[in-house]
Amino acid sequence: MEKKVVYLSEEWAAEALRRINEELSPERMNNVTTSMSNIYKNCPDGKERYLFIQAEDGRVTRLVVGQGEPPKAEFTITGDYEVFASISRAELGSQRALMTGKLKVRGNLTKALRLAALADRLNKVLSTIPAVY
Amino acid sequence: MPRILDPADPYYIDNPGRVRAMQEVMHEQDIDVYLGSRIRTLSWITDAFCPWRSFIVVPAEGMPTLFTFIIDALRVSDETWLDEDHVRAYAPMGGMDQIGALADFITTELGLTKGRIGYETGMSTYTAEGNLTHYEYERLTEALPGFTFVNAHEIVDGLSIIKDQGTINRFRKASAIVDEGHRAAREALENGGYKGMTETVIAGIAALAMRRAGSVSEWNFAGLNEISSGYRTGLGACTPPTEKVIQGGEPLMLDFHAMFRLALGDHSHNYLIAPATRRQRWHADNFVELVRLVLDNYRAGATPSGLAQIMMDRAESLGCADFVVPGCEHGIGLFGDEWRIGAKNDGPVPYWTNPDHVYRENELVICAMQYACPAEGIGFRYENPVLILEDGCECLSRYPLAIEEIE
Repeated sequence: MEKKVVYLSEEWAAEALRRINEELSPERMNNVTTSMSNIYKNCPDGKERYLFIQAEDGRVTRLVVGQGEPPKAEFTITGDYEVFASISRAELGSQRALMTGKLKVRGNLTKALRLAALADRLNKVLSTIPAVY
Repeated sequence: MPRILDPADPYYIDNPGRVRAMQEVMHEQDIDVYLGSRIRTLSWITDAFCPWRSFIVVPAEGMPTLFTFIIDALRVSDETWLDEDHVRAYAPMGGMDQIGALADFITTELGLTKGRIGYETGMSTYTAEGNLTHYEYERLTEALPGFTFVNAHEIVDGLSIIKDQGTINRFRKASAIVDEGHRAAREALENGGYKGMTETVIAGIAALAMRRAGSVSEWNFAGLNEISSGYRTGLGACTPPTEKVIQGGEPLMLDFHAMFRLALGDHSHNYLIAPATRRQRWHADNFVELVRLVLDNYRAGATPSGLAQIMMDRAESLGCADFVVPGCEHGIGLFGDEWRIGAKNDGPVPYWTNPDHVYRENELVICAMQYACPAEGIGFRYENPVLILEDGCECLSRYPLAIEEIE
């Protein structure tokens, strides 16, 4: 049985970066250069956290979790911890979360539209990480 | 419609210059952000065809940003001179609906928490003017509580009324395209071709010819190509075509519209389908004479009321004043701008042409004259884009002025 890591911990982030670069080639990432911050509100400990992902030419070069102000990103997606957790557990689709207003996007939606499929691919990889929520 | 960025191109428009001119007026009026929503404003600033509900945010300094419906955003981005970062989409997603996206952009990206927002409201006869709706206004004022909203459309109207050379050249081309539509219609109607043909079909024949000649839209909000025949010509003009079959012995009114790089072709031409009666011929000759008279009097310094008076005086002497609609023209500009004449909303009837507006060189208007005799089932409509010159005018449609009898 695989060891479980705590969702949004440093361990989880390291595992996420490893799996993404192992499973998603630059071609599968459309050779994209972009950055995104997920803002997790109402975490179980009452704090606010972020997950920052940066990709250069289709390679994810940074995947950082933390508290407070996230690094500046091209896109910001804000929502409750439980919504993001549901997406990571593959219980809720990210598109549905956006369309129902459970997640809010900030950034150029015209560009974001081209990245919707990539976000789905990333979420699928993240959902494979055995995690404690 | 590929974007034109070469100043040497005959159809080039200095859109960055237009934005700077707007920002100068905004500064004078203490406006921090201009929120445009009318189609004419979108056309004038973005130089792109924006048929879906769209908004343009013009900050006090720097580039404007367009927000349009997501399904059309990439096409608009492909057409406009604005770069990719300044073409945004809205969609039914969290934070990305129209109100959320606009409010977030103004507060977060422009960094404003208070100030004066110039927006666009008013009225027009066509539904699609694009003024901010009551609902949009209420939601935006809720989402932007630190701001004062002021009606500011006169900024764009004032700057857009005198046409630059690129715009004029586009209008010349749009009119040449409309003339192709009229030639195609004429060919289709003559030698008995009209028999069995409906108004909608002749509208489509002209539309195809104009598209082949470079038009991208029949653009008009009141029925695309406007056609009426027989008794319908006497009911007035500007009516959508119907399935009425064109008949011998009837008048026929063909009002075609083409669009070339957002410039609007708009020429209305009339025929009598043979055999015409002497009375029909009399009406037709009266109308042609009146049109010629009005065209001869367009020049800088003329006014709509002055031209109407010249027209009505001659109609009285011809004995046809009872059939003449006492107005000669309507405004015209890039797509979405087809209404009152003048930049200021300063006429005696709000949001209608000020009859005392004084024409200036390089204004464009549509000479739009109407003759209606419903009791006899006859009427005519003449339209032609007219460029005001210092000592006269240039009729952009070159299709010969006449009311011919078609066999």
